Amino acid sequence: MTPVLTPLLTTARLVLRGPEAGDWPAYLAYRRSPRSTLGTNPATGEIWMNFAAFLGHWQLRGFGRFIIVDRVSGGAIGHVGPFFPEGWQEPELTWTLWDGAREGQGIAFEAAAAARDHAFRDLGWKTAVSYIDPANTRSQALARRLGAVHERTDPGHAKPFQIWRHPLPERIA
Amino acid sequence: MIALSGTPTLATARLTLRAPQAGDWPHWRGFAMSNRARYSTGVCDEAKAWRAFCHVAGMWAMRGYGSFVFHATGSDTPLGMCGPWHPIDWPEREIGWTVWTDGAEGKGYAFEAANAARAYAFDVLGWDTAVSYIDPANARSVTLARRLGAVEDPDAAYPAHNDPTRVFRHPKGAAA
Repeated sequence: MTPVLTPLLTTARLVLRGPEAGDWPAYLAYRRSPRSTLGTNPATGEIWMNFAAFLGHWQLRGFGRFIIVDRVSGGAIGHVGPFFPEGWQEPELTWTLWDGAREGQGIAFEAAAAARDHAFRDLGWKTAVSYIDPANTRSQALARRLGAVHERTDPGHAKPFQIWRHPLPERIA
Repeated sequence: MIALSGTPTLATARLTLRAPQAGDWPHWRGFAMSNRARYSTGVCDEAKAWRAFCHVAGMWAMRGYGSFVFHATGSDTPLGMCGPWHPIDWPEREIGWTVWTDGAEGKGYAFEAANAARAYAFDVLGWDTAVSYIDPANARSVTLARRLGAVEDPDAAYPAHNDPTRVFRHPKGAAA
């Protein structure tokens, strides 16, 4: 039993590939770190469910978020790409770096740009948004660098989030 | 596009058991957001129902096995789910079962499906033992466990967040 047929995207410094069972330890370490904003001190079972669901999203939607792999070290350093759980207003383009030491090198930009190209080119998306925490100024700066614009702030169920809309493919420089 | 390749399909007298598919989602959603889910996932909102179903699908890629969706052979309408289940915080591997609609209950489907899925876990996956974690209030499930030949194991651990839970152990070679 093997999951097959996930696309492989490559950039100058990165490989983006589908998630695998072997990514679990690195994902677990990230979720237990202060970088994860998905709740403090989550139970391991909760993290497991989220990671399995990460893989399951691919099976149910036919697309999903990629693992960002450093081409030099071979290590998994984050996740990026199309995310559309049931209940989302529209398909989202997401990005997350698992280790703060990898920030400030343009990695998330490089990964997100490739994943956005994939969404428009291969998945046929007509538009794409990113939902961003109003406090996450780094992510807002990245969205801006990607050419996205802050469309509005949604009050949300639990807390507000910003909606950033990406430029259409023909408008991307 | 991703797909699971090489997942098994099991056949019983009336049922086909297979890995979960995207088309099962509306049926799962109906189950998980209903009172029928009170003893398993708990009654879900839509977001939790989706995460739980992605978990079910993702288990196959994480473990190389997972729970089977079952439907009447010749029909595409899923009736429920059963079989191997092993999240990381489970003390040991489980044989689980859910029946998704009132109309599918009382026909012996869960028994027939769970019996086949358990045989798969023992014979193909090579499990030595398996348990079923059952909410003490879930009398129908306790009855089914016993009908499957499982016996209560009062000393067995169970998932800490599912307190209280009764643990029924399936002896290897148990045949109903």
